[in-house]
Amino acid sequence: MSGRFTLVAGGAASGKSEFAERLILESGPLPRHYIATMEIFDEECRARVARHRAMRATKGFSTVERPVDLPGALLPPGGAVLLECMTNLTANELFSPNGAGSAKAAEASILAGVDKILSTCARLVIVTGEVFSGGNQYAGDTDTYLRLLARVNRALAARADEVCEVVCGLPVWYKSENEVFV
Amino acid sequence: MIFVTGPLYSGKRAYAQKILGCTEQQLPARAVWDVQEQAAAAPDLAALADELARYEVVIATEVGAGVVPADPAERAAREAAGRLACLLAARAERVVRVFCGLPLPLKGGLPE
Repeated sequence: MSGRFTLVAGGAASGKSEFAERLILESGPLPRHYIATMEIFDEECRARVARHRAMRATKGFSTVERPVDLPGALLPPGGAVLLECMTNLTANELFSPNGAGSAKAAEASILAGVDKILSTCARLVIVTGEVFSGGNQYAGDTDTYLRLLARVNRALAARADEVCEVVCGLPVWYKSENEVFV
Repeated sequence: MIFVTGPLYSGKRAYAQKILGCTEQQLPARAVWDVQEQAAAAPDLAALADELARYEVVIATEVGAGVVPADPAERAAREAAGRLACLLAARAERVVRVFCGLPLPLKGGLPE
Protein backbone atom coordinates (compact mmCIF):
# COMPACT_ATOMS: atom_id res chain seq x y z
CA MET A 1 0.00 0.00 0.00
CA SER A 2 1.15 3.53 -0.69
CA GLY A 3 -0.95 6.37 0.62
CA ARG A 4 -1.95 9.40 -1.39
CA PHE A 5 0.53 12.10 -0.46
CA THR A 6 0.03 15.87 -0.59
CA LEU A 7 2.83 18.31 0.20
CA VAL A 8 1.54 21.64 1.50
CA ALA A 9 4.03 24.52 1.50
CA GLY A 10 3.51 28.11 2.50
CA GLY A 11 4.93 31.15 4.21
CA ALA A 12 4.38 32.17 7.83
CA ALA A 13 0.70 32.57 8.70
CA SER A 14 -0.34 31.70 5.14
CA GLY A 15 -3.12 29.39 6.33
CA LYS A 16 -1.15 26.26 5.38
CA SER A 17 -1.89 24.38 8.63
CA GLU A 18 -5.61 24.89 8.42
CA PHE A 19 -5.62 23.91 4.76
CA ALA A 20 -3.58 20.77 5.46
CA GLU A 21 -5.92 19.81 8.28
CA ARG A 22 -8.88 20.25 5.94
CA LEU A 23 -7.31 17.82 3.45
CA ILE A 24 -7.13 15.21 6.21
CA LEU A 25 -10.67 15.87 7.43
CA GLU A 26 -11.93 15.54 3.85
CA SER A 27 -10.14 12.24 3.32
CA GLY A 28 -12.99 10.35 4.97
CA PRO A 29 -13.56 8.41 8.16
CA LEU A 30 -10.00 7.13 8.54
CA PRO A 31 -8.17 7.01 11.87
CA ARG A 32 -6.33 10.36 12.09
CA HIS A 33 -2.78 10.73 13.34
CA TYR A 34 -0.93 13.98 13.88
CA ILE A 35 2.85 13.90 13.93
CA ALA A 36 4.01 16.87 16.00
CA THR A 37 7.60 18.03 15.56
CA MET A 38 8.10 20.77 18.15
CA GLU A 39 10.80 20.20 20.71
CA ILE A 40 9.64 20.84 24.24
CA PHE A 41 12.08 22.99 26.19
CA ASP A 42 10.03 24.44 29.03
CA GLU A 43 6.64 24.91 30.64
CA GLU A 44 5.52 27.39 28.03
CA CYS A 45 6.13 24.82 25.27
CA ARG A 46 4.37 22.16 27.34
CA ALA A 47 1.29 24.35 27.79
CA ARG A 48 1.21 25.20 24.10
CA VAL A 49 1.50 21.56 23.10
CA ALA A 50 -1.23 20.53 25.57
CA ARG A 51 -3.59 23.15 24.12
CA HIS A 52 -2.94 22.03 20.54
CA ARG A 53 -3.38 18.36 21.49
CA ALA A 54 -6.75 19.13 23.08
CA MET A 55 -7.83 21.16 20.01
CA ARG A 56 -6.94 18.30 17.67
CA ALA A 57 -8.54 15.66 19.88
CA THR A 58 -11.93 17.22 19.16
CA LYS A 59 -11.25 16.56 15.46
CA GLY A 60 -10.38 12.95 16.09
CA PHE A 61 -6.60 13.18 15.86
CA SER A 62 -4.27 11.15 18.01
CA THR A 63 -0.94 12.91 18.48
CA VAL A 64 2.51 11.35 18.05
CA GLU A 65 5.44 13.52 19.21
CA ARG A 66 8.36 13.19 16.82
CA PRO A 67 10.79 16.12 17.15
CA VAL A 68 13.56 13.87 15.75
CA ASP A 69 13.86 10.30 14.41
CA LEU A 70 10.82 10.11 12.14
CA PRO A 71 11.54 6.43 11.27
CA GLY A 72 10.86 5.65 14.96
CA ALA A 73 7.24 6.83 14.70
CA LEU A 74 4.87 3.98 15.51
CA LEU A 75 1.63 4.38 13.58
CA PRO A 76 -1.09 1.79 13.01
CA PRO A 77 -1.45 1.15 9.25
CA GLY A 78 -4.31 2.49 7.14
CA GLY A 79 -4.69 5.91 8.73
CA ALA A 80 -4.66 9.52 7.58
CA VAL A 81 -1.43 11.15 8.74
CA LEU A 82 -0.70 14.86 9.09
CA LEU A 83 2.94 15.79 9.71
CA GLU A 84 3.63 19.38 10.77
CA CYS A 85 6.05 20.96 10.21
CA MET A 86 9.02 19.88 8.10
CA THR A 87 10.83 23.14 8.97
CA ASN A 88 10.93 22.06 12.65
CA LEU A 89 11.88 18.47 12.02
CA THR A 90 14.73 19.56 9.74
CA ALA A 91 16.03 22.11 12.25
CA ASN A 92 15.83 19.59 15.10
CA GLU A 93 17.68 16.91 13.16
CA LEU A 94 20.41 19.38 12.31
CA PHE A 95 20.79 21.34 15.55
CA SER A 96 19.29 19.38 18.46
CA PRO A 97 21.61 17.24 20.62
CA ASN A 98 19.24 14.33 19.88
CA GLY A 99 19.24 14.98 16.13
CA ALA A 100 21.03 13.24 13.29
CA GLY A 101 23.75 15.90 13.35
CA SER A 102 24.94 16.25 9.78
CA ALA A 103 22.77 17.52 6.92
CA LYS A 104 23.33 14.26 5.06
CA ALA A 105 22.22 12.10 8.01
CA ALA A 106 19.26 14.43 8.66
CA GLU A 107 18.07 14.15 5.06
CA ALA A 108 18.43 10.35 5.09
CA SER A 109 16.52 9.99 8.37
CA ILE A 110 13.68 12.30 7.30
CA LEU A 111 13.19 10.68 3.90
CA ALA A 112 13.41 7.15 5.35
CA GLY A 113 10.75 8.16 7.87
CA VAL A 114 8.47 9.59 5.19
CA ASP A 115 8.90 6.51 2.98
CA LYS A 116 8.08 4.27 5.94
CA ILE A 117 4.88 6.20 6.73
CA LEU A 118 3.92 6.29 3.03
CA SER A 119 4.22 2.53 2.75
CA THR A 120 1.57 1.89 5.41
CA CYS A 121 -0.77 4.90 5.55
CA ALA A 122 -3.85 5.56 3.41
CA ARG A 123 -3.33 9.31 3.29
CA LEU A 124 -0.39 11.57 4.10
CA VAL A 125 -0.24 15.36 4.26
CA ILE A 126 3.05 17.05 5.11
CA VAL A 127 3.29 20.75 5.92
CA THR A 128 6.49 22.58 5.06
CA GLY A 129 7.64 26.18 5.06
CA GLU A 130 8.35 28.44 2.12
CA VAL A 131 11.26 30.41 3.57
CA PHE A 132 13.29 30.82 0.39
CA SER A 133 12.07 34.07 -1.14
CA GLY A 134 13.39 36.67 1.27
CA GLY A 135 16.98 36.89 0.08
CA ASN A 136 19.97 34.78 -0.87
CA GLN A 137 22.72 36.14 1.35
CA TYR A 138 22.95 33.43 3.96
CA ALA A 139 26.00 31.90 5.57
CA GLY A 140 27.05 29.23 8.04
CA ASP A 141 24.38 27.26 9.90
CA THR A 142 21.52 29.19 8.31
CA ASP A 143 22.69 28.35 4.81
CA THR A 144 23.29 24.71 5.74
CA TYR A 145 19.77 24.57 7.14
CA LEU A 146 18.19 26.23 4.09
CA ARG A 147 20.01 23.94 1.66
CA LEU A 148 18.91 20.90 3.65
CA LEU A 149 15.28 22.02 3.89
CA ALA A 150 15.26 22.80 0.15
CA ARG A 151 16.63 19.32 -0.66
CA VAL A 152 14.04 17.71 1.61
CA ASN A 153 11.25 19.80 0.06
CA ARG A 154 12.30 18.86 -3.47
CA ALA A 155 12.59 15.17 -2.57
CA LEU A 156 9.12 15.29 -0.97
CA ALA A 157 7.70 17.14 -3.99
CA ALA A 158 9.09 14.41 -6.26
CA ARG A 159 7.35 11.72 -4.16
CA ALA A 160 4.08 13.59 -3.72
CA ASP A 161 0.92 13.03 -5.72
CA GLU A 162 0.05 16.69 -5.19
CA VAL A 163 2.07 19.76 -4.26
CA CYS A 164 0.66 23.16 -3.44
CA GLU A 165 1.74 26.44 -1.97
CA VAL A 166 -0.88 28.05 0.23
CA VAL A 167 -1.34 31.80 -0.24
CA CYS A 168 -3.89 33.59 1.96
CA GLY A 169 -5.42 30.23 2.79
CA LEU A 170 -5.81 29.31 -0.91
CA PRO A 171 -3.80 26.60 -2.67
CA VAL A 172 -1.67 27.25 -5.76
CA TRP A 173 -1.14 23.81 -7.30
CA TYR A 174 2.27 22.91 -8.72
CA LYS A 175 1.50 19.22 -9.11
CA SER A 176 -1.91 17.72 -9.15
CA GLU A 177 -3.32 14.35 -10.13
CA ASN A 178 -6.76 15.76 -10.15
CA GLU A 179 -7.27 19.34 -11.29
CA VAL A 180 -10.65 19.71 -9.61
CA PHE A 181 -9.40 18.99 -6.15
CA VAL A 182 -10.72 20.79 -3.05
CA MET B 1 14.20 33.63 -24.13
CA ILE B 2 12.71 31.70 -21.26
CA PHE B 3 12.78 33.47 -17.92
CA VAL B 4 12.99 31.08 -14.97
CA THR B 5 12.35 32.45 -11.51
CA GLY B 6 11.63 30.95 -8.12
CA PRO B 7 12.77 30.75 -4.52
CA LEU B 8 16.35 30.05 -3.44
CA TYR B 9 17.50 26.42 -3.96
CA SER B 10 14.25 25.46 -5.66
CA GLY B 11 15.91 23.60 -8.56
CA LYS B 12 15.90 26.38 -11.20
CA ARG B 13 19.23 25.43 -12.81
CA ALA B 14 18.33 21.73 -12.90
CA TYR B 15 15.11 22.75 -14.64
CA ALA B 16 17.03 24.87 -17.18
CA GLN B 17 19.28 21.89 -17.95
CA LYS B 18 16.21 19.77 -18.46
CA ILE B 19 14.48 22.10 -20.91
CA LEU B 20 17.71 22.85 -22.80
CA GLY B 21 18.70 19.19 -22.82
CA CYS B 22 22.22 20.06 -21.70
CA THR B 23 24.71 19.17 -18.99
CA GLU B 24 25.82 21.34 -16.09
CA GLN B 25 29.07 22.04 -17.99
CA GLN B 26 27.19 23.20 -21.10
CA LEU B 27 24.81 25.41 -19.16
CA PRO B 28 26.95 28.60 -18.94
CA ALA B 29 26.98 28.93 -22.75
CA ARG B 30 23.20 28.86 -22.97
CA ALA B 31 21.88 30.21 -19.69
CA VAL B 32 22.73 32.86 -17.15
CA TRP B 33 21.73 32.69 -13.49
CA ASP B 34 21.71 34.74 -10.30
CA VAL B 35 20.96 37.75 -12.49
CA GLN B 36 19.31 39.42 -9.48
CA GLU B 37 22.86 40.09 -8.28
CA GLN B 38 23.68 42.11 -11.39
CA ALA B 39 20.78 44.49 -10.88
CA ALA B 40 22.17 46.71 -8.12
CA ALA B 41 25.28 47.76 -10.07
CA ALA B 42 23.51 48.29 -13.40
CA PRO B 43 23.26 51.95 -14.53
CA ASP B 44 20.42 51.00 -16.90
CA LEU B 45 18.21 48.06 -15.97
CA ALA B 46 16.44 47.97 -19.34
CA ALA B 47 19.78 47.74 -21.16
CA LEU B 48 20.86 44.96 -18.80
CA ALA B 49 17.60 43.11 -19.47
CA ASP B 50 18.13 43.47 -23.25
CA GLU B 51 21.64 42.07 -22.93
CA LEU B 52 20.58 39.14 -20.70
CA ALA B 53 17.69 38.34 -23.03
CA ARG B 54 20.22 37.13 -25.63
CA TYR B 55 20.61 33.95 -23.60
CA GLU B 56 18.18 31.08 -24.20
CA VAL B 57 17.38 30.88 -20.49
CA VAL B 58 17.71 33.62 -17.87
CA ILE B 59 17.41 32.62 -14.21
CA ALA B 60 16.71 34.87 -11.23
CA THR B 61 16.23 33.97 -7.59
CA GLU B 62 13.30 35.67 -5.90
CA VAL B 63 14.68 37.85 -3.12
CA GLY B 64 11.89 40.34 -2.52
CA ALA B 65 9.50 38.50 -0.25
CA GLY B 66 11.15 39.06 3.12
CA VAL B 67 11.10 41.98 5.51
CA VAL B 68 12.38 45.25 4.02
CA PRO B 69 16.12 45.32 4.79
CA ALA B 70 17.28 47.97 7.27
CA ASP B 71 20.42 48.65 5.22
CA PRO B 72 19.81 51.22 2.41
CA ALA B 73 22.16 49.49 -0.06
CA GLU B 74 20.45 46.14 0.50
CA ARG B 75 17.09 47.84 0.10
CA ALA B 76 18.15 49.37 -3.22
CA ALA B 77 19.61 46.07 -4.44
CA ARG B 78 16.42 44.22 -3.64
CA GLU B 79 14.37 46.88 -5.38
CA ALA B 80 16.55 46.72 -8.50
CA ALA B 81 16.38 42.90 -8.51
CA GLY B 82 12.58 43.02 -8.53
CA ARG B 83 12.45 45.59 -11.32
CA LEU B 84 14.94 43.62 -13.41
CA ALA B 85 12.77 40.49 -13.02
CA CYS B 86 9.75 42.40 -14.36
CA LEU B 87 11.76 43.68 -17.34
CA LEU B 88 13.00 40.17 -18.10
CA ALA B 89 9.50 38.73 -17.83
CA ALA B 90 8.28 41.35 -20.31
CA ARG B 91 11.02 40.33 -22.80
CA ALA B 92 10.53 36.57 -22.36
CA GLU B 93 8.44 34.32 -24.61
CA ARG B 94 7.84 32.16 -21.58
CA VAL B 95 8.10 32.70 -17.84
CA VAL B 96 8.29 29.71 -15.51
CA ARG B 97 8.37 29.69 -11.72
CA VAL B 98 10.16 26.67 -10.25
CA PHE B 99 8.98 25.69 -6.79
CA CYS B 100 10.33 22.60 -4.99
CA GLY B 101 11.62 21.45 -8.36
CA LEU B 102 8.21 21.79 -10.02
CA PRO B 103 7.60 24.24 -12.89
CA LEU B 104 4.56 26.52 -12.90
CA PRO B 105 3.94 28.46 -16.13
CA LEU B 106 3.37 32.18 -15.53
CA LYS B 107 3.50 33.26 -19.18
CA GLY B 108 3.42 31.46 -22.53
CA GLY B 109 2.95 27.94 -21.18
CA LEU B 110 5.61 25.38 -20.37
CA PRO B 111 8.29 24.61 -22.99
CA GLU B 112 8.08 21.18 -24.71
